[in-house]
Amino acid sequence: MRRSREVAQESSAGWLRIVITLVVAVLFKQMPWSGWALTLRPDFVLVVVLFWALHRPSRVGMGMAFALGLLSDFQDGMVFGQYGMAYVLGVYAVQYFRLRFLQFDAAQQSAQMLPIFLLVQVLVLVVGWLSGRSPQGINILLPALSGALVWYLIAFAAQSLHGRNALRQ
Amino acid sequence: MATPGQLMFARGLSPTARLIIWMLLGASLAVADVRLGALGVLRSTFSRVMQPVQQATLAPFQLAAGVGGFLVRHHELQQERDRLRDERLGLQRELYAARDSQRENQELRSLLALARRPGQSALAANVLYQGQDWFSRRITVDKGASSGLREGSPVIDAQGLVGQVTRVYPGASEVTLISNSEQLTPVFVARTGQRALAAGASQIDQIEIRFIPIHADIQPGDLLLTSGIDKVYPPGLPVARVIRITRPQGGAYARVECVPLAGVSRDRALLILSPAIEAPRP
Repeated sequence: MRRSREVAQESSAGWLRIVITLVVAVLFKQMPWSGWALTLRPDFVLVVVLFWALHRPSRVGMGMAFALGLLSDFQDGMVFGQYGMAYVLGVYAVQYFRLRFLQFDAAQQSAQMLPIFLLVQVLVLVVGWLSGRSPQGINILLPALSGALVWYLIAFAAQSLHGRNALRQ
Repeated sequence: MATPGQLMFARGLSPTARLIIWMLLGASLAVADVRLGALGVLRSTFSRVMQPVQQATLAPFQLAAGVGGFLVRHHELQQERDRLRDERLGLQRELYAARDSQRENQELRSLLALARRPGQSALAANVLYQGQDWFSRRITVDKGASSGLREGSPVIDAQGLVGQVTRVYPGASEVTLISNSEQLTPVFVARTGQRALAAGASQIDQIEIRFIPIHADIQPGDLLLTSGIDKVYPPGLPVARVIRITRPQGGAYARVECVPLAGVSRDRALLILSPAIEAPRP
Protein backbone atom coordinates (compact mmCIF):
# COMPACT_ATOMS: atom_id res chain seq x y z
CA MET A 1 0.00 0.00 0.00
CA ARG A 2 2.63 2.46 1.14
CA ARG A 3 4.86 1.40 -1.68
CA SER A 4 2.16 2.03 -4.31
CA ARG A 5 1.47 5.55 -3.01
CA GLU A 6 5.16 6.31 -3.26
CA VAL A 7 5.15 5.06 -6.77
CA ALA A 8 2.13 7.22 -7.63
CA GLN A 9 3.76 10.31 -6.12
CA GLU A 10 7.00 9.58 -7.89
CA SER A 11 5.19 9.23 -11.21
CA SER A 12 3.29 12.53 -11.01
CA ALA A 13 6.46 14.33 -9.88
CA GLY A 14 8.22 12.73 -12.82
CA TRP A 15 5.66 14.07 -15.29
CA LEU A 16 5.81 17.52 -13.75
CA ARG A 17 9.57 17.62 -14.16
CA ILE A 18 9.38 16.47 -17.76
CA VAL A 19 6.71 19.00 -18.72
CA ILE A 20 8.49 21.90 -17.00
CA THR A 21 11.82 21.16 -18.68
CA LEU A 22 10.13 20.83 -22.07
CA VAL A 23 8.29 24.14 -21.66
CA VAL A 24 11.53 25.86 -20.63
CA ALA A 25 13.26 24.38 -23.68
CA VAL A 26 10.51 25.67 -26.01
CA LEU A 27 10.76 29.14 -24.42
CA PHE A 28 14.55 29.15 -24.81
CA LYS A 29 14.14 28.29 -28.44
CA GLN A 30 11.55 31.04 -28.89
CA MET A 31 13.78 33.84 -27.61
CA PRO A 32 14.73 36.44 -30.25
CA TRP A 33 18.05 34.91 -31.34
CA SER A 34 19.86 36.57 -34.22
CA GLY A 35 23.14 36.51 -36.12
CA TRP A 36 25.79 34.04 -35.01
CA ALA A 37 23.93 33.18 -31.82
CA LEU A 38 21.07 31.99 -34.02
CA THR A 39 23.37 29.92 -36.20
CA LEU A 40 25.00 28.31 -33.18
CA ARG A 41 21.77 27.98 -31.19
CA PRO A 42 21.53 24.43 -29.88
CA ASP A 43 18.21 22.69 -30.37
CA PHE A 44 17.13 22.87 -26.73
CA VAL A 45 13.93 20.91 -27.33
CA LEU A 46 15.84 18.07 -28.98
CA VAL A 47 18.35 17.92 -26.12
CA VAL A 48 15.58 17.74 -23.51
CA VAL A 49 13.60 15.16 -25.48
CA LEU A 50 16.64 12.91 -25.88
CA PHE A 51 17.58 13.39 -22.23
CA TRP A 52 14.18 12.12 -21.10
CA ALA A 53 14.18 9.41 -23.75
CA LEU A 54 17.37 8.19 -22.11
CA HIS A 55 16.28 8.50 -18.49
CA ARG A 56 12.48 8.03 -18.64
CA PRO A 57 11.97 5.89 -21.75
CA SER A 58 8.49 4.81 -20.66
CA ARG A 59 7.29 8.43 -20.67
CA VAL A 60 9.06 10.19 -23.52
CA GLY A 61 9.07 8.15 -26.69
CA MET A 62 8.70 8.57 -30.41
CA GLY A 63 5.15 9.96 -30.30
CA MET A 64 6.05 12.87 -28.07
CA ALA A 65 9.24 13.45 -30.06
CA PHE A 66 7.19 13.64 -33.26
CA ALA A 67 4.70 16.12 -31.77
CA LEU A 68 7.49 18.37 -30.46
CA GLY A 69 9.22 18.05 -33.82
CA LEU A 70 6.13 19.45 -35.52
CA LEU A 71 6.21 22.38 -33.10
CA SER A 72 9.87 22.96 -34.04
CA ASP A 73 8.93 22.81 -37.71
CA PHE A 74 6.44 25.57 -37.10
CA GLN A 75 8.83 27.67 -34.99
CA ASP A 76 11.56 27.62 -37.61
CA GLY A 77 9.18 27.87 -40.56
CA MET A 78 10.25 24.51 -42.00
CA VAL A 79 8.32 21.93 -43.97
CA PHE A 80 6.02 20.03 -41.61
CA GLY A 81 7.49 16.66 -40.68
CA GLN A 82 11.08 17.70 -41.22
CA TYR A 83 12.02 18.01 -37.55
CA GLY A 84 9.27 15.53 -36.66
CA MET A 85 11.06 12.72 -38.47
CA ALA A 86 14.49 13.88 -37.27
CA TYR A 87 13.46 13.87 -33.58
CA VAL A 88 11.95 10.38 -33.93
CA LEU A 89 15.22 9.15 -35.43
CA GLY A 90 17.15 10.72 -32.52
CA VAL A 91 14.91 8.97 -29.97
CA TYR A 92 15.35 5.68 -31.81
CA ALA A 93 19.15 6.02 -31.69
CA VAL A 94 19.09 6.89 -27.99
CA GLN A 95 16.83 3.92 -27.21
CA TYR A 96 19.14 1.68 -29.20
CA PHE A 97 22.25 2.67 -27.25
CA ARG A 98 20.43 3.36 -23.97
CA LEU A 99 22.02 0.76 -21.71
CA ARG A 100 25.45 1.72 -22.94
CA PHE A 101 24.92 5.46 -22.43
CA LEU A 102 23.73 4.96 -18.86
CA GLN A 103 27.15 3.55 -17.93
CA PHE A 104 28.98 6.69 -19.03
CA ASP A 105 29.86 9.89 -17.21
CA ALA A 106 28.77 13.26 -18.61
CA ALA A 107 31.77 13.85 -20.89
CA GLN A 108 31.65 10.37 -22.41
CA GLN A 109 27.88 10.67 -22.87
CA SER A 110 28.10 13.98 -24.68
CA ALA A 111 30.89 12.65 -26.92
CA GLN A 112 28.61 9.74 -27.87
CA MET A 113 25.62 12.03 -28.32
CA LEU A 114 27.44 14.18 -30.89
CA PRO A 115 27.01 11.64 -33.74
CA ILE A 116 23.32 11.31 -32.84
CA PHE A 117 22.84 15.09 -32.96
CA LEU A 118 24.71 15.13 -36.28
CA LEU A 119 22.49 12.33 -37.61
CA VAL A 120 19.39 14.35 -36.67
CA GLN A 121 20.68 17.47 -38.46
CA VAL A 122 21.68 15.46 -41.53
CA LEU A 123 18.15 14.05 -41.74
CA VAL A 124 16.74 17.60 -41.53
CA LEU A 125 19.13 18.60 -44.33
CA VAL A 126 18.21 15.63 -46.52
CA VAL A 127 14.45 16.08 -46.08
CA GLY A 128 14.80 19.78 -46.84
CA TRP A 129 16.76 18.94 -49.97
CA LEU A 130 14.17 16.40 -51.09
CA SER A 131 11.41 18.93 -50.56
CA GLY A 132 13.04 21.06 -53.20
CA ARG A 133 14.73 23.78 -51.20
CA SER A 134 18.48 24.26 -51.42
CA PRO A 135 20.19 24.67 -48.05
CA GLN A 136 22.06 27.92 -47.41
CA GLY A 137 25.48 26.58 -46.46
CA ILE A 138 26.35 23.70 -44.16
CA ASN A 139 25.99 25.78 -40.98
CA ILE A 140 23.11 23.41 -40.33
CA LEU A 141 25.59 21.02 -38.71
CA LEU A 142 26.75 23.56 -36.09
CA PRO A 143 23.84 23.09 -33.64
CA ALA A 144 24.97 19.47 -33.26
CA LEU A 145 28.18 20.72 -31.60
CA SER A 146 26.41 23.17 -29.32
CA GLY A 147 23.80 20.50 -28.58
CA ALA A 148 26.51 18.11 -27.40
CA LEU A 149 27.90 20.90 -25.20
CA VAL A 150 24.50 21.58 -23.65
CA TRP A 151 24.08 17.83 -23.17
CA TYR A 152 27.36 17.77 -21.22
CA LEU A 153 26.19 20.59 -18.93
CA ILE A 154 22.79 18.98 -18.30
CA ALA A 155 24.18 15.48 -17.78
CA PHE A 156 26.88 16.83 -15.46
CA ALA A 157 24.30 18.72 -13.41
CA ALA A 158 21.94 15.74 -13.24
CA GLN A 159 24.67 13.32 -12.28
CA SER A 160 26.08 15.54 -9.55
CA LEU A 161 22.57 16.20 -8.17
CA HIS A 162 21.30 12.65 -8.17
CA GLY A 163 24.41 10.51 -8.46
CA ARG A 164 25.11 8.48 -11.53
CA ASN A 165 23.59 5.26 -10.17
CA ALA A 166 20.24 6.85 -9.29
CA LEU A 167 19.75 7.85 -12.92
CA ARG A 168 20.05 4.25 -14.09
CA GLN A 169 16.43 3.27 -13.79
CA MET B 1 19.52 -6.54 -34.70
CA ALA B 2 20.21 -6.30 -30.99
CA THR B 3 17.24 -5.38 -28.85
CA PRO B 4 17.75 -1.99 -27.21
CA GLY B 5 17.26 -2.74 -23.55
CA GLN B 6 14.21 -3.97 -21.71
CA LEU B 7 11.94 -1.45 -23.41
CA MET B 8 9.71 -3.41 -25.60
CA PHE B 9 8.69 -6.63 -24.01
CA ALA B 10 4.93 -6.78 -23.68
CA ARG B 11 4.67 -4.24 -26.47
CA GLY B 12 3.44 -5.22 -29.86
CA LEU B 13 5.76 -3.36 -32.12
CA SER B 14 9.53 -3.34 -32.20
CA PRO B 15 11.26 0.08 -32.05
CA THR B 16 12.30 -0.30 -35.67
CA ALA B 17 8.72 -0.86 -36.77
CA ARG B 18 7.61 2.18 -34.79
CA LEU B 19 10.44 4.22 -36.29
CA ILE B 20 9.30 3.27 -39.78
CA ILE B 21 5.68 4.15 -39.01
CA TRP B 22 6.60 7.58 -37.66
CA MET B 23 8.92 8.19 -40.63
CA LEU B 24 6.13 7.36 -43.07
CA LEU B 25 3.79 9.68 -41.20
CA GLY B 26 6.41 12.47 -41.27
CA ALA B 27 7.09 11.92 -44.97
CA SER B 28 3.39 12.06 -45.83
CA LEU B 29 3.03 15.27 -43.79
CA ALA B 30 5.97 16.77 -45.70
CA VAL B 31 4.45 15.78 -49.02
CA ALA B 32 1.06 17.18 -48.00
CA ASP B 33 2.78 20.42 -46.99
CA VAL B 34 5.08 20.90 -49.98
CA ARG B 35 3.16 19.34 -52.88
CA LEU B 36 -0.43 19.98 -51.86
CA GLY B 37 -0.05 22.97 -49.52
CA ALA B 38 -2.70 21.35 -47.36
CA LEU B 39 -1.40 22.16 -43.89
CA GLY B 40 -2.27 25.84 -43.62
CA VAL B 41 -4.82 25.03 -40.92
CA LEU B 42 -2.18 23.28 -38.80
CA ARG B 43 0.19 26.20 -39.23
CA SER B 44 -2.35 28.82 -38.22
CA THR B 45 -3.37 26.70 -35.20
CA PHE B 46 0.25 26.58 -34.08
CA SER B 47 0.47 30.30 -34.73
CA ARG B 48 -2.58 31.06 -32.57
CA VAL B 49 -1.18 28.94 -29.71
CA MET B 50 2.37 30.22 -29.94
CA GLN B 51 1.69 33.92 -30.46
CA PRO B 52 1.28 34.81 -26.76
CA VAL B 53 4.44 32.82 -26.08
CA GLN B 54 6.30 34.71 -28.79
CA GLN B 55 5.15 38.05 -27.38
CA ALA B 56 6.03 36.99 -23.82
CA THR B 57 9.57 35.86 -24.64
CA LEU B 58 10.19 39.10 -26.51
CA ALA B 59 9.10 41.31 -23.58
CA PRO B 60 12.25 40.98 -21.39
CA PHE B 61 14.46 41.82 -24.38
CA GLN B 62 12.38 44.88 -25.25
CA LEU B 63 12.60 45.98 -21.61
CA ALA B 64 16.39 45.51 -21.65
CA ALA B 65 16.63 47.51 -24.87
CA GLY B 66 14.50 50.25 -23.28
CA VAL B 67 16.73 50.44 -20.21
CA GLY B 68 19.83 50.40 -22.41
CA GLY B 69 18.44 53.29 -24.45
CA PHE B 70 17.73 55.25 -21.28
CA LEU B 71 21.36 55.04 -20.21
CA VAL B 72 22.81 56.44 -23.45
CA ARG B 73 25.34 59.12 -22.65
CA HIS B 74 24.16 62.71 -22.60
CA HIS B 75 26.55 64.07 -25.18
CA GLU B 76 25.71 61.32 -27.63
CA LEU B 77 22.14 62.54 -27.43
CA GLN B 78 23.25 66.13 -28.00
CA GLN B 79 25.28 65.10 -31.02
CA GLU B 80 22.34 63.21 -32.39
CA ARG B 81 20.05 66.19 -31.81
CA ASP B 82 22.37 68.50 -33.74
CA ARG B 83 22.64 66.01 -36.54
CA LEU B 84 18.86 65.59 -36.69
CA ARG B 85 18.37 69.38 -36.72
CA ASP B 86 20.65 69.72 -39.74
CA GLU B 87 18.93 66.81 -41.38
CA ARG B 88 15.51 68.34 -40.80
CA LEU B 89 16.51 71.55 -42.51
CA GLY B 90 17.63 69.60 -45.53
CA LEU B 91 14.52 67.43 -45.49
CA GLN B 92 12.19 70.39 -45.26
CA ARG B 93 13.67 71.83 -48.40
CA GLU B 94 13.23 68.50 -50.14
CA LEU B 95 9.70 68.19 -48.78
CA TYR B 96 8.63 71.43 -50.44
CA ALA B 97 10.14 70.29 -53.70
CA ALA B 98 8.48 66.89 -53.34
CA ARG B 99 5.06 68.44 -52.61
CA ASP B 100 5.41 70.58 -55.63
CA SER B 101 6.28 67.68 -57.91
CA GLN B 102 3.58 65.52 -56.35
CA ARG B 103 0.98 68.11 -57.23
CA GLU B 104 2.37 68.36 -60.71
CA ASN B 105 2.49 64.58 -60.96
CA GLN B 106 -1.14 64.23 -59.91
CA GLU B 107 -2.24 66.63 -62.57
CA LEU B 108 -0.24 64.83 -65.23
CA ARG B 109 -1.51 61.44 -64.08
CA SER B 110 -5.11 62.52 -64.15
CA LEU B 111 -4.46 63.80 -67.62
CA LEU B 112 -3.05 60.44 -68.64
CA ALA B 113 -5.60 58.46 -66.52
CA LEU B 114 -2.89 56.17 -65.22
CA ALA B 115 -3.42 53.66 -62.46
CA ARG B 116 -2.12 54.61 -59.03
CA ARG B 117 1.30 53.27 -58.18
CA PRO B 118 1.41 50.28 -55.80
CA GLY B 119 2.62 50.70 -52.25
CA GLN B 120 0.43 53.65 -51.34
CA SER B 121 -0.78 52.40 -47.97
CA ALA B 122 1.67 51.29 -45.33
CA LEU B 123 1.44 49.38 -42.06
CA ALA B 124 4.05 49.46 -39.29
CA ALA B 125 5.13 46.10 -37.84
CA ASN B 126 7.64 44.78 -35.35
CA VAL B 127 9.93 41.79 -35.80
CA LEU B 128 8.84 38.97 -33.50
CA TYR B 129 11.75 36.63 -34.05
CA GLN B 130 13.93 34.98 -36.67
CA GLY B 131 13.62 31.23 -37.10
CA GLN B 132 16.61 28.91 -37.46
CA ASP B 133 15.56 27.91 -40.96
CA TRP B 134 18.51 26.51 -42.88
CA PHE B 135 16.77 26.61 -46.22
CA SER B 136 15.63 30.19 -46.50
CA ARG B 137 16.11 33.52 -44.74
CA ARG B 138 12.95 34.64 -43.09
CA ILE B 139 11.67 36.68 -40.17
CA THR B 140 8.33 36.65 -38.40
CA VAL B 141 6.53 39.95 -37.79
CA ASP B 142 3.64 40.74 -35.46
CA LYS B 143 1.00 41.78 -38.02
CA GLY B 144 -1.15 39.28 -39.89
CA ALA B 145 -4.39 38.71 -41.71
CA SER B 146 -6.31 40.48 -38.92
CA SER B 147 -4.51 43.71 -39.89
CA GLY B 148 -5.39 43.19 -43.53
CA LEU B 149 -2.03 41.82 -44.69
CA ARG B 150 -1.86 39.74 -47.83
CA GLU B 151 0.77 37.42 -49.22
CA GLY B 152 3.10 39.19 -51.59
CA SER B 153 3.21 42.57 -49.84
CA PRO B 154 6.62 44.30 -50.01
CA VAL B 155 8.34 45.04 -46.69
CA ILE B 156 10.71 47.99 -46.20
CA ASP B 157 12.61 49.72 -43.43
CA ALA B 158 14.00 53.26 -43.21
CA GLN B 159 16.93 52.41 -45.52
CA GLY B 160 15.32 50.28 -48.22
CA LEU B 161 13.68 47.05 -49.29
CA VAL B 162 13.71 44.21 -46.74
CA GLY B 163 11.67 41.48 -48.43
CA GLN B 164 8.22 40.20 -49.18
CA VAL B 165 5.43 38.70 -47.06
CA THR B 166 5.19 35.01 -47.96
CA ARG B 167 2.99 33.42 -45.31
CA VAL B 168 0.16 35.10 -43.44
CA TYR B 169 -1.25 33.87 -40.13
CA PRO B 170 -4.14 35.45 -38.23
CA GLY B 171 -1.88 37.52 -35.96
CA ALA B 172 1.58 37.18 -37.48
CA SER B 173 3.23 36.70 -40.83
CA GLU B 174 6.48 35.49 -42.31
CA VAL B 175 8.67 37.76 -44.42
CA THR B 176 11.16 36.23 -46.86
CA LEU B 177 14.22 38.46 -46.99
CA ILE B 178 15.75 39.71 -50.24
CA SER B 179 18.97 37.92 -49.22
CA ASN B 180 17.17 34.58 -49.62
CA SER B 181 18.63 32.74 -52.60
CA GLU B 182 15.27 31.97 -54.18
CA GLN B 183 13.91 35.49 -53.75
CA LEU B 184 14.20 37.46 -56.99
CA THR B 185 13.95 41.25 -57.04
CA PRO B 186 13.72 43.19 -60.32
CA VAL B 187 16.06 46.17 -60.03
CA PHE B 188 17.72 48.83 -62.16
CA VAL B 189 21.07 50.53 -61.77
CA ALA B 190 20.38 54.09 -60.67
CA ARG B 191 23.32 55.56 -62.62
CA THR B 192 22.67 53.97 -66.00
CA GLY B 193 19.09 52.69 -65.90
CA GLN B 194 20.26 49.16 -66.78
CA ARG B 195 17.60 46.67 -65.68
CA ALA B 196 18.63 43.45 -63.89
CA LEU B 197 17.46 40.72 -61.56
CA ALA B 198 18.83 40.59 -57.99
CA ALA B 199 18.75 37.47 -55.82
CA GLY B 200 20.22 36.26 -52.54
CA ALA B 201 23.86 35.16 -52.67
CA SER B 202 25.46 32.21 -50.93
CA GLN B 203 27.08 34.48 -48.34
CA ILE B 204 24.83 35.51 -45.49
CA ASP B 205 23.47 39.05 -45.88
CA GLN B 206 24.64 39.50 -49.46
CA ILE B 207 22.81 39.61 -52.73
CA GLU B 208 24.02 39.22 -56.30
CA ILE B 209 22.84 40.29 -59.74
CA ARG B 210 22.09 37.37 -61.96
CA PHE B 211 22.52 37.26 -65.74
CA ILE B 212 24.02 40.68 -66.33
CA PRO B 213 26.06 40.80 -69.55
CA ILE B 214 29.80 40.78 -68.99
CA HIS B 215 30.37 44.18 -70.62
CA ALA B 216 27.45 45.92 -68.93
CA ASP B 217 28.27 49.36 -67.52
CA ILE B 218 28.25 48.71 -63.80
CA GLN B 219 30.77 49.78 -61.14
CA PRO B 220 31.35 49.24 -57.43
CA GLY B 221 29.34 51.81 -55.53
CA ASP B 222 26.40 51.76 -57.95
CA LEU B 223 23.00 51.95 -56.32
CA LEU B 224 20.27 49.43 -57.21
CA LEU B 225 16.62 50.49 -57.03
CA THR B 226 13.47 48.43 -57.58
CA SER B 227 12.33 48.77 -61.17
CA GLY B 228 8.68 48.03 -60.45
CA ILE B 229 8.14 45.98 -63.60
CA ASP B 230 6.80 43.08 -61.55
CA LYS B 231 4.00 45.35 -60.18
CA VAL B 232 4.79 44.02 -56.70
CA TYR B 233 7.41 46.46 -55.51
CA PRO B 234 6.80 50.15 -56.06
CA PRO B 235 9.51 51.50 -58.36
CA GLY B 236 12.43 53.44 -56.91
CA LEU B 237 12.90 51.70 -53.54
CA PRO B 238 16.61 51.43 -52.67
CA VAL B 239 17.67 47.78 -52.62
CA ALA B 240 21.43 47.38 -52.51
CA ARG B 241 24.83 48.83 -53.29
CA VAL B 242 27.35 47.08 -55.56
CA ILE B 243 30.59 46.21 -53.75
CA ARG B 244 32.52 43.96 -56.12
CA ILE B 245 32.42 42.92 -59.75
CA THR B 246 34.33 40.04 -61.28
CA ARG B 247 34.25 39.43 -65.02
CA PRO B 248 35.23 35.80 -65.65
CA GLN B 249 37.31 35.17 -68.79
CA GLY B 250 35.17 33.60 -71.46
CA GLY B 251 31.96 33.78 -69.42
CA ALA B 252 28.85 35.46 -70.71
CA TYR B 253 27.79 37.01 -67.41
CA ALA B 254 29.55 39.20 -64.87
CA ARG B 255 29.50 38.28 -61.20
CA VAL B 256 28.19 41.24 -59.21
CA GLU B 257 28.18 41.16 -55.42
CA CYS B 258 26.05 43.66 -53.51
CA VAL B 259 25.10 44.42 -49.93
CA PRO B 260 21.46 45.19 -49.08
CA LEU B 261 20.91 48.75 -47.86
CA ALA B 262 18.18 47.78 -45.41
CA GLY B 263 19.33 46.16 -42.17
CA VAL B 264 17.90 42.94 -43.52
CA SER B 265 18.66 40.72 -40.54
CA ARG B 266 19.14 43.37 -37.86
CA ASP B 267 15.87 45.31 -38.07
CA ARG B 268 13.33 45.58 -35.30
CA ALA B 269 10.71 47.89 -36.85
CA LEU B 270 9.45 47.51 -40.41
CA LEU B 271 6.89 48.98 -42.77
CA ILE B 272 4.64 46.73 -44.87
CA LEU B 273 3.28 48.20 -48.11
CA SER B 274 0.27 46.91 -50.00
CA PRO B 275 0.83 45.36 -53.42
CA ALA B 276 -1.13 46.80 -56.32
CA ILE B 277 -2.17 43.45 -57.71
CA GLU B 278 -2.57 39.96 -56.28
CA ALA B 279 1.09 38.96 -56.36
CA PRO B 280 2.07 35.36 -57.05
CA ARG B 281 3.99 33.54 -54.32
CA PRO B 282 7.73 33.75 -54.89
